[in-house]
Amino acid sequence: MTFPATPRNVIVVAGVMSLLLVLTVLVSLTMGAVHLPLSEVWAALVSPGTNSEAAVIVRGIRLPRILLAILVGAALSVAGTGLQALLRNPLADPYVLGISSGAAVGAIFALWIGGRVAAASPLAAFVGAVITMVWVYLLGRHGGRLSSYTLILAGVITASFLSAVILFMLTLLSTRDVRGIAFWLMGDLSVTPVAELRILAPAIILAIAGLYVFAKDLNVLLLGAEEAAHLGVNVVRVELGVYILASLLTGIAVSASGAIGYLGLLVPHLGRMLVGNDHRMLLPTAALGGAILLVLSDTLARTAVAPAELPVGAVTAVAGAPVFIYLLRKTAG
Amino acid sequence: MARFPSKSSGQVPCCPSGVNSPASATVLLCVLAATLSILLPPAVSARTVKDQTGRSVDVPNNLHRLVSLAPNITEIVYALGLGDELVGDTDYCDFPPQAKNKPHVGTMVNPSLERIVALKPDLALGTPEANRRETADQLERLGIPLYGVTASTLAGTLASIEDLGKILGRASEARSLVAEMQARIDRVEKRIEGQPKPRVLFVVWYRPLITVGPSTFIADVIRAAGGTPIGENLKGEWPRLTLEELLPQNPDVILLPKTESFSPSTEEFQSLPGWKDLRAVKERRMFFVSETVMRPGPRLVDALEELAGVLHPTVAFKTGERQ
Repeated sequence: MTFPATPRNVIVVAGVMSLLLVLTVLVSLTMGAVHLPLSEVWAALVSPGTNSEAAVIVRGIRLPRILLAILVGAALSVAGTGLQALLRNPLADPYVLGISSGAAVGAIFALWIGGRVAAASPLAAFVGAVITMVWVYLLGRHGGRLSSYTLILAGVITASFLSAVILFMLTLLSTRDVRGIAFWLMGDLSVTPVAELRILAPAIILAIAGLYVFAKDLNVLLLGAEEAAHLGVNVVRVELGVYILASLLTGIAVSASGAIGYLGLLVPHLGRMLVGNDHRMLLPTAALGGAILLVLSDTLARTAVAPAELPVGAVTAVAGAPVFIYLLRKTAG
Repeated sequence: MARFPSKSSGQVPCCPSGVNSPASATVLLCVLAATLSILLPPAVSARTVKDQTGRSVDVPNNLHRLVSLAPNITEIVYALGLGDELVGDTDYCDFPPQAKNKPHVGTMVNPSLERIVALKPDLALGTPEANRRETADQLERLGIPLYGVTASTLAGTLASIEDLGKILGRASEARSLVAEMQARIDRVEKRIEGQPKPRVLFVVWYRPLITVGPSTFIADVIRAAGGTPIGENLKGEWPRLTLEELLPQNPDVILLPKTESFSPSTEEFQSLPGWKDLRAVKERRMFFVSETVMRPGPRLVDALEELAGVLHPTVAFKTGERQ
């Protein structure tokens, strides 16, 4: 099923998906280790003055976590969509360029040298992500512009090298620090402070909006770089822009919540099945779809073994692999 | 708290070339972002103290509802006579048996914050040995004071009991409990005086072999029980020990904690490469000991007496012997 990506259609699809997202959020708000009746959840949402336990749980714990899931889900999915188009490779995901490994190295390094100041330090992770982004870009440049093959190879090699660095650093960390970082490495939405949402939200929204600017160019780029250049696309600028924005989205998301797997690989595929290949339609669909899926996954992570909690990365990995295999079989057959 | 540089949001190339509907999805996301809310911690009459981990904690003056985030703390709370005030503990809190019936908040590493909030605790009690810093940060943000204790020696365990007693308004109970524990420690010390000190390997895990570091309370209990923990030169709390390092240290006694997840047979050990040549294996001095030794709480002296009995059977020290 594909719709032409007219402005009207884009708004209709985005509107329907947004409604679905709102619905998912409402359902997720009512679920958790503590049973809260619907009326109390609603009261906590609409009367911000109260400080009952229900209000603290809904507004202080569930809502910030859901908002983080929305932001991270959208960021990873849009980054994945952008990178699959940029690299013209359906296996590309936000982690293929080694950015999440770079973020992990940053976070662990901060723990290593800084002790407690750097507990789950998003800033150090982000710095690690940006350094990796620049490094892979320099490696992946070929004759003045990005070559998708060189870029993928540079990313994969960097990622595996950094993974080795991570393992090395982990063996030298104290048990106490390893426990904390293990959750982060698996992808975990439980730890980001509310205050960081105020920085994450505008950063992620701006980067997604920035990528959307390239939507039409990405469509042309799918034909191949040379064809795109013939058709008047400034390929160098588009590739650089998409690379930077997708990497920043990945870096921000990973810094906040660790490497949540499969979402950035899967959602672009699901999106293409739903609305087709036009990025003007695909990008908003991926953003909202990724948000919905991560909110759902995290709801499961919060409730499956309640009162204990799973890291959401475990949920997306367990659910993601079978879905991916299913998609593979379906598209192959 | 570390923040993202605000610069990261500014690097958006501004070139809207031929886009039909630039920001329809963005607008919707903006609306969602606008619903961000922040929570203010409620004000209570409290005093600010530094806990054993160095955090400053606002401890309320009236403590009626306590949540424990670690099994050893649950034991201390009960031993101080505050079992009724304990309104929640972890899935692993199994002693005293009543602790199992308390509402649980999840595991030590990943408890449910909303369960903790719903229990309306005046004070939560935790330890960096079992809990994550992130949990402490989150509780602080939610306005739930968390008091942390930590102990890496037998004496430190006694000190943390006394410290909790002071914080929880049970200072005299804590003092007499600690005095009783100290008396039992002294008694063990007297009994084993002049005895040879066997070299002890404490097995935390065996594939790979993980033992206790010299600066853990377990190593300290072994020393107090008249043994010499091997691996005094090892670093960290739970160091790996290779066969190469193990063989020359040749332990006289091997101790294995009895836990649900860890119950290998002694035959299994004898079949490990190199192990059958160890003195402890040849002389069949491998013992399962109660996992109480892994819990720095009131029963740590039980473990001490048990270990002393295992290491020095000739002084006829019966396990769990009381005054």
